[in-house]
Amino acid sequence: MRFAACVVAATIFFTLSLPAWPHNAPEPPPSKAEWEKGAEFFRDICSHCHGPHMVNPGNGSFDLRKFPHDERARFFNSVRNGKNSMPPWKDILRPDEIAAVWAYVRTGGVEPK
Amino acid sequence: MRKLLLAATLAASLPLAGHAQTAQELMAGSQKDTADVLNYGMGYNLQRYSPLTQINRDTVKHLVPVWNYSYDDNKSEESQPLVYKGVLYVTTNSATMAIDAKTGNQIWKTKVEYPAETPRIVCCGIINRGLALYDGKVFRTTLDANVIALDAKTGKEIWRSHVIDFKDGYSQTVAPLVADGVVITGISGAEYGIRGFIDGWDPDTGKHLWRTYTVAGPDDPNGKTWPGDTYKHGGGSTWITGSFDPELHTVYWGTGNTGSWNPTQHPGDNLYTCSVLALDPKTGKIKWHFQFSPNDPYDYDSVAEMVLANLDVGGKPTKVVMDANRNGFYYVLDRTNGKLIAANQYGHQTWAKGIDEDGRPIPSEVTDKVRKGEAVDVWPGAMGVKNWSPTSYDPQTGLVYANTLYFGMHYKPVDVQYRAGLPYWGADIDWIWPKGPRGFLKAIDPLTGKSKWEVPSDIPRFSGVLSTAGGVVFTGKLTGELEAFDAENGHKLWQFKTGSGIEGQPITWEQDGVQYVAVSSGIGGVYDLFAGDERLSKVPAGGSLWVFALAK
Repeated sequence: MRFAACVVAATIFFTLSLPAWPHNAPEPPPSKAEWEKGAEFFRDICSHCHGPHMVNPGNGSFDLRKFPHDERARFFNSVRNGKNSMPPWKDILRPDEIAAVWAYVRTGGVEPK
Repeated sequence: MRKLLLAATLAASLPLAGHAQTAQELMAGSQKDTADVLNYGMGYNLQRYSPLTQINRDTVKHLVPVWNYSYDDNKSEESQPLVYKGVLYVTTNSATMAIDAKTGNQIWKTKVEYPAETPRIVCCGIINRGLALYDGKVFRTTLDANVIALDAKTGKEIWRSHVIDFKDGYSQTVAPLVADGVVITGISGAEYGIRGFIDGWDPDTGKHLWRTYTVAGPDDPNGKTWPGDTYKHGGGSTWITGSFDPELHTVYWGTGNTGSWNPTQHPGDNLYTCSVLALDPKTGKIKWHFQFSPNDPYDYDSVAEMVLANLDVGGKPTKVVMDANRNGFYYVLDRTNGKLIAANQYGHQTWAKGIDEDGRPIPSEVTDKVRKGEAVDVWPGAMGVKNWSPTSYDPQTGLVYANTLYFGMHYKPVDVQYRAGLPYWGADIDWIWPKGPRGFLKAIDPLTGKSKWEVPSDIPRFSGVLSTAGGVVFTGKLTGELEAFDAENGHKLWQFKTGSGIEGQPITWEQDGVQYVAVSSGIGGVYDLFAGDERLSKVPAGGSLWVFALAK
């Protein structure tokens, strides 16, 4: 049963962290719903280190406005496994939550129309 | 055989003799013992005042660096160094160090390890604020909530006591206090749904002696100020070191905000959050409590320093405890019984109409709206009129020197579900910035709240303050300058630019006829991370310790 749960979780993660669109094509814009979930999640979980609306000086934590908008795998890897001052989150955040924050970050915090 | 054993015991204890730190020495504090800085706050009264005068308003212009020591750490450096018999002790989040105070040569360095996941339950910078010295040992806390004792001579670990699981939101940044022979520590994590407490430990063994919860549970009559099970995540952190009155055998320790911030999730006074507790250091028993902000929605936590002084109140010498509260009022209480003497505004606030004679705030319309769940604009913002940065009380001028803040916030309470290890805030906030300065160094009359002088700063100061009998007030800027001001009028006398931002706590002491000033430099605390002030992008991280003296 636990094995089955692991397989399901791994499948969900695989689906969310890897591109679901054709190779070499740009990632399609996120849905409004996903972006809104990401904005709220960023506010609640991320903003106290990365700044309100991602505005920060970049000396104490990464300035996410400078994160390349086409490097989804790098984003997932940094959030899941941690990097520099960033702690690892893989045991506590769900893949859909990381995906929602990615939707917020890769749009530069600009809500899709 | 017995003689041999005795000789061996004596020999073993001899090297420690030079490093014995006694209760008597601790009681003297930096105002009587100017050669040492023995605890957080430079004395049990946390006044951060020194009677030294070599560096004074005339000579301070000749202040020059004597040495600089790299912390090999790029986090926020808020630690206050201690000095004992020519050895300077200091901490970062990642190490404890002993340094020759005259030369800057490292004597020992003991690293601190914690799991990589730990920083995710730290809201406001990866920080350690310092240590305590007692009986040849150095005591500190770790980010993942352990209290450790090191041999002051070698840095070798003597004992380690696990406080609580960090994965449930608990962390430690606090410098311990040793009072009546008990090591006392607080806890952080009110933004992560902890139930706060203060602990007492045996200095010899690390044995846990007592725990006093700062969020009253069902076994406490004040538990009824929390509906249902809300006390279990009620906040009430205790991350700034308390003061201690050895004559009254009483420790004064401030408590943090509620968890969550949203007051509608836990209607009631929510004792003992946003309060000061008067504790018996031997047992942790609460002698009295005074609550500054009942059912606080705004993160007006009250952990910051509880300064002890003897003031003339209406012609009567009175033992008081004083608090520059985050909520914008400067409180003076009778420390023998917790009765209010004065509570006056010392910065801009819109959340209360005033404080009634019992000390209870009279809510403004803004606060009434928030308690109905509505969005408001309120002053001060969540960082308060003064944040953690410790003030200095100068008994010569009778003034309190404080780094105050001047900004508000848009605030909306939101419902939040508790999830272990994730923030439990319950509020949607955005800062309201004024056009000009966001902070002022103020010289405040504690009984009226009025300023004798104010020095503005566009980017607010988040450093501790030190005052001296030489008429000089020291503090630092987030842009890196250690500054000296005239205590009488606030005129700038001197400054020196360090390599990172100053969030540290300046101290002073005298060794072999020379007065020294030391401060940690290293940016990365709450304002840097959470204010979104891009002007700080030109201030690099990088922790180090600076020591100054007059040019020869």
